[in-house]
Amino acid sequence: MNAPVRDYLVPERTGVEEVKRMLQAHRQIAADPARSVIRRFYDTFDWRIFHAGGCLWEQVDSNTRQLFWEPFQSKQPQLKQRLTGEVSFADQLDLGPVRARIAPISSIRRLLPIVQISSRVQTLRVLNEDEKTVVRMEIEENRFEENPRNRHVLGARIRVRPIRGYPDAYRGVLRILENELELIPARTPLLLEALSAAGRTPGDYSSKLNFRLDPDRRADETTKEILLHLLNVIEANIPGVRENLDPEFLHDLRVAVRRTRSALSQIKGVFAPEIVQEYKDRFAWVGQITGPVRDLDVYLLDFPSYQRSLPEFLQPHLEPLRAFLLSHYDEAQKALAEQLASQEMQDLLNNWRAFLEAPAPEHPTAPNALRPTKWVADARIWRMYKRVLREGRAIDETSPPEDLHELRKSCKKLRYLLEFFASLYPKKEMRKLIKILKTLLDNLGRFQDLAVQADSLRRTAHTMSEEGRADPDSLLAMGVLVGGLLSRQAAARQEFAGTFATFDSPSHQRLFRSLFRTKKKGGHG
Amino acid sequence: MKVIGCYNLKGGVGKTATAVNLASLAANEGKQTLIWDLDPQGAATYYFRIQPKVKGGGQGLLKKKKKRSLDPLIKGTDFESLDLLPADFSYRNLDLVLEENKKPTKQLSRLLKPLSQEYDCIFLDCPPSISLVSENIFRIADALLVPMIPTTLSARTLDQLQEFLASHAFNPNLQCMPFFSMVDRRKRLHTDLMAELPKQYPDFLRTSIPYSAEVERMGIYRMPVVLKNPDNPASKAYGNLWQEVKARLYGHLRREDQG
Repeated sequence: MNAPVRDYLVPERTGVEEVKRMLQAHRQIAADPARSVIRRFYDTFDWRIFHAGGCLWEQVDSNTRQLFWEPFQSKQPQLKQRLTGEVSFADQLDLGPVRARIAPISSIRRLLPIVQISSRVQTLRVLNEDEKTVVRMEIEENRFEENPRNRHVLGARIRVRPIRGYPDAYRGVLRILENELELIPARTPLLLEALSAAGRTPGDYSSKLNFRLDPDRRADETTKEILLHLLNVIEANIPGVRENLDPEFLHDLRVAVRRTRSALSQIKGVFAPEIVQEYKDRFAWVGQITGPVRDLDVYLLDFPSYQRSLPEFLQPHLEPLRAFLLSHYDEAQKALAEQLASQEMQDLLNNWRAFLEAPAPEHPTAPNALRPTKWVADARIWRMYKRVLREGRAIDETSPPEDLHELRKSCKKLRYLLEFFASLYPKKEMRKLIKILKTLLDNLGRFQDLAVQADSLRRTAHTMSEEGRADPDSLLAMGVLVGGLLSRQAAARQEFAGTFATFDSPSHQRLFRSLFRTKKKGGHG
Repeated sequence: MKVIGCYNLKGGVGKTATAVNLASLAANEGKQTLIWDLDPQGAATYYFRIQPKVKGGGQGLLKKKKKRSLDPLIKGTDFESLDLLPADFSYRNLDLVLEENKKPTKQLSRLLKPLSQEYDCIFLDCPPSISLVSENIFRIADALLVPMIPTTLSARTLDQLQEFLASHAFNPNLQCMPFFSMVDRRKRLHTDLMAELPKQYPDFLRTSIPYSAEVERMGIYRMPVVLKNPDNPASKAYGNLWQEVKARLYGHLRREDQG
């Protein structure tokens, strides 16, 4: 395998020509004619490529288009492959080493262009005694264009590219550059230099809750901080949802809406009750208008596993279901895009932001507004935890599904509270509690969602049959699918007792008690 | 990954020129391409100014106990996306070494397997013989490019090759693609045979490569003619040949996938 590519900065006072001249003094060099290269960098909306520690770009030169992956720091080599189609989803790229590397990273997220760099590149080749090229150096003069009016010139660089099978020559050239020419290795990859010149911060979007809350700050201000982050997430995802770039935009938006509603109802007594009621209702509306497309997304994402779950001879007969889902997709997506662009939505976002950004009232009437954040967090988490225990312990083999649904709702509320306030408590313990709660939620989610899916598939089968879009084999395939979902649902019900018992173990009880139970009187509504 | 063998029982028919030029064209399109110079003469290696040395020679690659991988032996050429596995004079004994192995006809396949992720195209520049080396090649290649000078003897050679391939049933996917090479249109015999042979052998490629002094001079300037002098008639002919080979190899794919 190849050694990694190295970048050096060309100091402005030295200049490119001087570097060339000095190199020629040490090695036999052939200089190729300069050429223009365009590099278009890609990442997912949530910066998965960046977080994986590298960059991905499409390189267009006079006669080739190639795709590159390059790690920022590690000793791994650059990867490249040919590129024939457009860059969108990793699994639609040509097969090759770059796709193999990034597909697990980007997964279902679309690769979006983030910055384009145009370069004048001159290749200098270091030759051996056979006049064979043994090291390739590219002198790059880079600039990037956000738009024709906004051009930025970036510093010149020398990229030193090893040639496979000639490691000694490569090391020799690095020594010359560092010791004789005293060039400094570029610490910042070109992409990051361009992004920073464009005023963009990689990793600036994340749907994760990553607060650093002040335990003594008044609770209404802290709640506004949490809600403001959630509003930012909602707004950041709207363009991607309207253009339907990938299903994660809508998913993140819906999660942020759910968390917003949960924060409003669960961090009690910090805002005036009429505000809480008004925005709970208005965000419930956002939940409703985004539901239909999300349901279709979930079915389409699960479709391959649905199909695999069937006996082989039935698998092709499930295709009409996919066609049916797709035929409804455009209409649902169009309706959603219109709703998101509506005056109602605009007003909601504007009003909500105005409320969150306004200073907290000096003399609030809400009972907990002025209390310290930590006090409110302790009380709310402890109370919700006790409710989860009460509801969970009351469930036995004869309990109706509704009891499990109620428990699921309480668990979700508890999970959101733990996540909102995680930074007020020890990290390791919080991670542990959130993890066991997630396991319980997964179980309850399987129990409920599989039933909902089975029911919805049954109704879809009816519609398809009425519309003449399903032959007997397709209906049979859907029947087998429903049967499979219901048996998995039954298994989830069987597993519930054990999963809840783990959650309710004495050591977990002790942990909850030590973190959230306080000597103060905790009851407050 | 596609494996393309350049092969003829006869020497001096333009095998190496074919391998080197088509590989350069493939790499120029952005395909990651490797030439494996299996001919102990090492002409392909020489054209790229690479020293014809493989550490341990053929024995090293194939020894039972210490089965090495090809990876550390690969050399980058002067051209983007084009690598070469150098020839070694010890390849002249490759048959003997292959014979010592348990599955002598599967050894090259074992060696090439790990490279399939990395390369889109691998060109094998084969020694002129029917031997264990060539049997290995018939087993792993997707296409066998057979350059032929239009003479009566070369028709005989093609018969022998086709019989051999038919009798051994090496690889159902192997496409045999003979074509005319070093053609001199002033020679009556050449034009006659070129009219006649493709009728007998429907697999014949339609492109033929003209005789060119420029191709001979590759040994002087030591780079493929398609890169040195793309406007030369021989270079253009190699371009057409590559298009035709690609159409056969990737024929079932969409046009843009042909790269």
